[in-house]
Amino acid sequence: MYSPHAALIGGRSFDQCGDDLPLDIEAIRADFPILSRRLPNGKQLVYFDNAATSQKPKCVIDAMSRYYEEYNSNAHRAIHTLADEATAALEGARDMISSYFGTSSDQLIYTSGATEAINLVAYGWAREKLGKGDVVVLTEMEHHADIVPWQQLSIDKGVEVRFVPIDTESFTLDMDALEVALDGASLVCVVHTSNVLGVRNPIEKIIEMSQSVGARVLIDCAQGAPHERIDFDSLGADFIAISAHKMAGPTGIGCILVKKDAMAEMGPFMTGGSMIKRVTMEKSTFQDGNAMFETGTPRIAEAIGWGAAVEWLNQFDMGEIHDHINDVASWTAAQMREIPGIKIYGEPEREDSSGAISFLHESIQSLDLALLLDEGGFAVRTGHHCAQPLMDALGVPSTNRASFWVYNTMGEAEAFIDHLRYIVERFS
Amino acid sequence: MGIGRSWPEHLDPIVEEFSECFDSMERYELLFEFAKRHPTPLPPDEWEDENQVHGCQSRAHVVCSVDDTGGFLLRCGADAQVVQGLMAVTAIAVNGMDPSAVAQMGPDYADAMGIKTSLTPSRANGFLNMFRRVREEAGKLV
Repeated sequence: MYSPHAALIGGRSFDQCGDDLPLDIEAIRADFPILSRRLPNGKQLVYFDNAATSQKPKCVIDAMSRYYEEYNSNAHRAIHTLADEATAALEGARDMISSYFGTSSDQLIYTSGATEAINLVAYGWAREKLGKGDVVVLTEMEHHADIVPWQQLSIDKGVEVRFVPIDTESFTLDMDALEVALDGASLVCVVHTSNVLGVRNPIEKIIEMSQSVGARVLIDCAQGAPHERIDFDSLGADFIAISAHKMAGPTGIGCILVKKDAMAEMGPFMTGGSMIKRVTMEKSTFQDGNAMFETGTPRIAEAIGWGAAVEWLNQFDMGEIHDHINDVASWTAAQMREIPGIKIYGEPEREDSSGAISFLHESIQSLDLALLLDEGGFAVRTGHHCAQPLMDALGVPSTNRASFWVYNTMGEAEAFIDHLRYIVERFS
Repeated sequence: MGIGRSWPEHLDPIVEEFSECFDSMERYELLFEFAKRHPTPLPPDEWEDENQVHGCQSRAHVVCSVDDTGGFLLRCGADAQVVQGLMAVTAIAVNGMDPSAVAQMGPDYADAMGIKTSLTPSRANGFLNMFRRVREEAGKLV
């Protein structure tokens, strides 16, 4: 098969990449050109906004550039050489990505990201299967992308939406409340890892509990996939939503992984070219399987870039990556707790935490703090993080959030703590 | 107002003070000070949906009226000190002016203060939204 990715991984061939390579953070950083840039004020960039999007390694950028420079063409539509190469690369990427997530390529539907993936379940599956009296269970931890589609479904179809609360002391889901909420549930939608708290939910247990009452399960893995290896077939969820851009891939692409029996229950969501078998003036018939859900020109460059990203990730042991991120986050959180006025929401020191630290200062407003951190070169997020029900549960309108990934170093964390101390001393 | 600029002369010392700041941290510190000595703050109990300025990353509210002498009166408040400071400088600039002059004024004083260079376009949009709102309200008071 044509492989646009061969030999692109910083001189390391995919075949030579083993799981035994030790984590060399400096070598990893060298794969990310952006990490060496300076901001307009001359400060070295320290990128701590990884829960919003990760940076991209050179192999991803090169794979996408190579597509545009050497074989840009529409996929699935022509027999000329370029179209053949583009189609092979698009489908080759699907093979690699689905394999990375422990499933077959016919269970992967490309979407624009996790948001569209969840909407595809809401429109393609739930509108076909659910109606008045059916119950969809969500949690207070969900991103708006996993709340609003279900509220809309509730308005349109009379479905009941239930929310499982969090324990604001432990920042974990109230599992007793989940058990109660599951009574009569048809669908359970749970975030794998909170984008605000960094908390990794007990999804294996949640899947087991949900399926024991006959409910389908959707797991939002937008934050989980960059931090641990998601194995769809082993996990047993019915739907898993993933975004590429949080795991070294490009923006604009993601997927929904769907169990075969669940896919058989789905109807078309977006309609148009590619997803049809036959169109007449009177009616249209549709493709079977995942092809029914991918209409219009595919996201070819993005899929190729994502394929390169999973190839890049595949050289590492995700457990080692998690441990490294957790080490940096734990140390940083412990130091932050020593700074007067700082309050952390969540427990970043927990072993299963994903390296997101949400915090506030008692007298420096979150926007001000983010601007002052940016002046030191530190990119952190401020706002409600598209999780306003969680903000309500925490009793705050917004937080600052520092989130770490594989290329962040303890040296960066130390510099961050120094600058944060300086800000608090000067501005609080 | 001078040639090539649209802010009133009484704002010149403030513009100069900001432009002479050693670095952006000092500029922020000065902006925080202006936030504390806002001449006409709008207390949080008067923050309502209808006076909220949208497009700011923090909560910001403005109420515009005319004072006893017919001069423009801007009362405003924000939770972020950076935004509150920008509002304070704006209030110092426009309070007492003829509403028609406020309606014609540009936001170039922020540029001259070096504020725009401290704020990226999306953040500046918050300020520009606030400024646009003030100008629109001034137009209604003419």
